[in-house]
Amino acid sequence: MPDAPVIDVDGLTVTYGDFAAVRDVSFQVHRGELYALLGTNGAGKTSTLEVVEGHRRATSGTVRIFGASPQDRQAIRPRMGIMLQESGFSPDLTVEESVDLIGSLSGRVDSTERVLDVVGLTRKAGTIVAQLSGGEKRRLDFATAVYGGPELVILDEPTTGLDIQSRDALWDAVDRLRETGSTVVLTTHYLEEAQERADRIGLMHEGRLHREGTVAELTQTLPSVITFGLPPGAPEPPTVGARNGAFHIETFHLQDDLHRLLAWAHEHGVELEKLQAGPTRLDDVFRALDAT
Amino acid sequence: MLAIARSEMTQIFRNRLVLVTGLVIPVAISGYFVYEHERFSDLGSLGYIAAIVMFTVLAFGLYTTAVTTLASRRQNLFLKRLRSTAAGDASILTGLVLPATVIALVQVVVILVVLGTVTTRPAQVPLLAVAVLATTAMMVALALATVGLTNSPEHAQVTTLPVSLSVIAVASWVGITGTEDLARLKRLLPGGSATEMVVNAWNGGVPLLDSLPLLATTLGWVAVSVALAVRLFRWEPRR
Repeated sequence: MPDAPVIDVDGLTVTYGDFAAVRDVSFQVHRGELYALLGTNGAGKTSTLEVVEGHRRATSGTVRIFGASPQDRQAIRPRMGIMLQESGFSPDLTVEESVDLIGSLSGRVDSTERVLDVVGLTRKAGTIVAQLSGGEKRRLDFATAVYGGPELVILDEPTTGLDIQSRDALWDAVDRLRETGSTVVLTTHYLEEAQERADRIGLMHEGRLHREGTVAELTQTLPSVITFGLPPGAPEPPTVGARNGAFHIETFHLQDDLHRLLAWAHEHGVELEKLQAGPTRLDDVFRALDAT
Repeated sequence: MLAIARSEMTQIFRNRLVLVTGLVIPVAISGYFVYEHERFSDLGSLGYIAAIVMFTVLAFGLYTTAVTTLASRRQNLFLKRLRSTAAGDASILTGLVLPATVIALVQVVVILVVLGTVTTRPAQVPLLAVAVLATTAMMVALALATVGLTNSPEHAQVTTLPVSLSVIAVASWVGITGTEDLARLKRLLPGGSATEMVVNAWNGGVPLLDSLPLLATTLGWVAVSVALAVRLFRWEPRR
């Protein structure tokens, strides 16, 4: 029998007055998974996460975290670290004081020095938060989320504003957490991060969870595309369409059709210009979703 | 809760504006009243000076500081951050207002001790203590309610004025004119009964039992303030 889900969202609806921000959303996140909740702006991700985090009550439906209500902070918070979308630290406290305070209230045990080292803020330990850059504040936020190695970490747009080194360091820290069995829920606008790291992805649009699955499951619903140009006077290969002056072939059999295209070009002595071919990416699934 | 209170105390002493408005100004005003005690006791009584000093400190040192602090913590999402931990709501709020409350109570006690030293001791110290504690509870609850109507720390400079000025005006009215006339109205106004309790406690001459209805009215205001706070307080900025 599989473990009980770490997060169990069933029929969640969140309304603000007459506006339904989240409509009948259901999903589960299992132990050790990295689940990415993605969506367009206003898709309902933040409202969904706020209910999961216990910051907002569901209008209807149920949400259980480790089998308990998200509102039961004393039971859940010691097992759950939250990286908010906006920092929320007092500008008059130092970095070290901020981690000490939030860490001591987390219900977990850790060393502030260790956590600051993980996020590369050791040299800023004595600096007040008001003097940190945007990226440093995000790292401070991450430090409090992973303090004490929680079983569940919620990362709300964790890498926004981070330089490439800080991003790498953050994902290294997430990888180390996952090696200890932690579950991670992620929202991000950087789709390549989700594509590269998520075990499963939920795609939200206009308040609904439109699609859910692994990257492979999501991308195989759309054809891959081969694009190329032709020199003047060259014959056109069969079964191609033209878009924006370039020729394209949509296919669910990328390798076979690419092979056939190259064979045709070789046979007719045509040099294909700007040839591009690749598997469907998450961006394409996202665009298709937005177009619906 | 103590970790939050400790951090809040650190922040109060690092913020010069809060330090000046919450500590220096109330003490300076109160010091003036004590220094000019003969003039003000002629105007009302020593009990009136005690009441006006208490309300000055609690209105500016506690109430205004608490509203400004909580609005600021909410605006920069520090309240949301604290609610992302295992700390409960009551523990968070207590931790946030505890330093300002303790500082204000210490100020009131020190100033009243100085007043008692340079003039005469209060006749009924326990009644005075009860009046100070009940008024403190009322001002804290009113602060929580006012935060719900305050969008930012800057906005707090406006939203705190009605309560601050009202309680000081009521304390002055009741302290100077007494409650021979319009007794029911004066006692029902916010701070009216508390002022009369302080005046009775300091000046003496009134049986303790006669002050119990005043305590009941003051506790009624505490209950009203708490009910307003529960209804109006918000943890996150309006979106």
